[in-house]
Amino acid sequence: MSDDYLLNKRILLVDDEQELLDMVLSILIEDGFQNVKTAKSVKEAIEEAEKFCPELAILDVMLPDGNGFELMEQLRKVSGDYPVLFLTACGEDNDKFKGFRLGADDYMIKPFLPKELLFRVMAILRRSYKDEDPLVQLQDSQIDFSCAEVIKNDEHIPLTAKEYDLLSALYRNAGRIVTIDALCEAAWGNNPFGYENSLMAHIRRIREKIELNPSQPVSLVTVKGLGYKLIVKGN
Amino acid sequence: MKSIPKLIRRFVGIMLLSIILLVILNVAFYAIAFVRNTPEFSPWDMAEKTAAALQSTDKGFLLPEDIAAKLKEQNAWAVLIDNDTKQVVWQTDNLPANIPMRYTLSDIAKLTRGYVDGYPAFTGEAPNGLLVLGYPRNSFWKHTRASWDYDFIANLPKNTLMLLAVNIALIFLIYAVANSKLLRSIEPIINGIQDLSRGGPVCLKEKGVLSELAENINKTSDILQKQTWELRKKETARANWIAGVSHDVRTPLAMVMGYAGQLEGSRNLSEDQRKKAAAIVKQSKRMKDLINDLNLASKLEYDMQPLTLKQENAISIVRQVVVDFMNMDIDDRYPIEWKTADSIPACYITVDRELLKRAISNLIQNSINHNEKGCGIYVSVEADNNNCRICIEDSGIGASDEQIDRLNNTPHYMVCDTNTTEQRHGLGLLIVKQIIDGHGGKVFIDHSEYGGFKVVLVIPK
Repeated sequence: MSDDYLLNKRILLVDDEQELLDMVLSILIEDGFQNVKTAKSVKEAIEEAEKFCPELAILDVMLPDGNGFELMEQLRKVSGDYPVLFLTACGEDNDKFKGFRLGADDYMIKPFLPKELLFRVMAILRRSYKDEDPLVQLQDSQIDFSCAEVIKNDEHIPLTAKEYDLLSALYRNAGRIVTIDALCEAAWGNNPFGYENSLMAHIRRIREKIELNPSQPVSLVTVKGLGYKLIVKGN
Repeated sequence: MKSIPKLIRRFVGIMLLSIILLVILNVAFYAIAFVRNTPEFSPWDMAEKTAAALQSTDKGFLLPEDIAAKLKEQNAWAVLIDNDTKQVVWQTDNLPANIPMRYTLSDIAKLTRGYVDGYPAFTGEAPNGLLVLGYPRNSFWKHTRASWDYDFIANLPKNTLMLLAVNIALIFLIYAVANSKLLRSIEPIINGIQDLSRGGPVCLKEKGVLSELAENINKTSDILQKQTWELRKKETARANWIAGVSHDVRTPLAMVMGYAGQLEGSRNLSEDQRKKAAAIVKQSKRMKDLINDLNLASKLEYDMQPLTLKQENAISIVRQVVVDFMNMDIDDRYPIEWKTADSIPACYITVDRELLKRAISNLIQNSINHNEKGCGIYVSVEADNNNCRICIEDSGIGASDEQIDRLNNTPHYMVCDTNTTEQRHGLGLLIVKQIIDGHGGKVFIDHSEYGGFKVVLVIPK
């Protein structure tokens, strides 16, 4: 599956330090993002947002004329609901929780590695704008999240609600291990204890749908005792 | 207050014991004095004996020699009064001159009860007469009017016991009245001292018997509060300072790390240049970890990191940390193995999730940092009735017995109050210890059966 369409997304970058703006800009541009605008204050950011209609905002928390949390609320008022990633020097857990509580999509503490920033930006974009390219390519099949079905050998196999939840959780973290606990939470909500056996049953059924040989899985692999990993082609 | 009833019991006990002891001592003393001062025989017996021994012969009355000698020895005299004539019919030689020789019935009644001319008199029944024995003046005291109510004597044992009981009650009452004031004024003082030992502020009323003591306790409390506050202020300032510095360093470090990271992946640079960029990335990552550690360690040390405690499944937390490490591109040199038995699906403990995750990732990171050449890392969670044991081991170079002993038993330099010249190690383990301490748990460091380092975190359920 190709994520190239995500590189066209409009990104608004707000930080009060010019040098940091330059650096993040260069990281994003070097990776192929084409529509990135920057702003150095709340005022500039709002002006820019009205003209530019961003699809992702990367915000600093401390700005000369306000803070990033307030800015997030104002931005969403003027130019619609789109994902926000905070990039800040405040390492306090409390700040982080405040950000998430107010609806931030992710929160990164400086300093960070370019790779990490890019990964998170891509993850947020993929999560927010997934329906533009609904077909996920696996080794032996394709997943069409918009129709909640798997296409294997030209056959369309529908996914149940739980299978859909599990597959989306795995796809959001494609190529990475997702713990048993996180999967149970994705499928059964906040108190996921005691569903391990159900999870195994669902995973088996998903494999029957997406794998050619379900007993020798190549796309949905087990990491013993820890969790599962979805391997997506071209990722 | 628990100690007052104990105090009363103890005091009353001592009082009763001493009273009983005194009574016993007195009784014993009088008994001894009584026995010592009693003559070998009673004067009444002597009179009876003399009367019985007196023989009536043709030549008149005759007293056997031995009795006569005894009477003489005791300086006693005797007369025999005839039943019919009421006249003295026999007498000893030593009869004092004033003793009458005739007696009326009332004389006899009087002398039986009391004295004859000041001589204590005792009587014995002789054939046809009454023998009167007179002892020297002031040798005996006679109770001339003795008589008691019968019931009084009959009830004597009961009454004595009652008297004793009343006495005990009285003693108790006197004690209670005399001491209630003292006890009342002691109670707040004891409470104050207890508060003092808990570190709370104390303000006692400074009046009553123990006002001076109360005043001193108040002063002590003031001093302690002031010292605590000063210390707290200093600690807060220090923690804030560290937090401020680490905040300010983050942005410049972000630039270093960001550009170096870009250069590391740049295809326009030579292999050698990219290696140099990679080294900058690696070192700036170390600095980032150091800043994070320093900040957290100082907050934990000065109690400025409040714990957000919740019931959590320890296995799920540890699993998440392990998976985070596996998802991070650490290279194949550090394979992590999950050794937790499948038989325990959950182990619930009350913890701060983020802090526990931090402790575990510090330990895994430690294994990576200390084993440049790579090593296996083994993570397991065990549970028993009271504790959850999280075990992180590696097959790396490990540590010597001496080093392990030092890690287990000596304080870290950052919280050590003496100057130390020993080689300084990182803050990773210190933070682990602080976090686990905060949860009431323990950290054990040991050799691993896999050949390297082993850390066990024991957290109470």
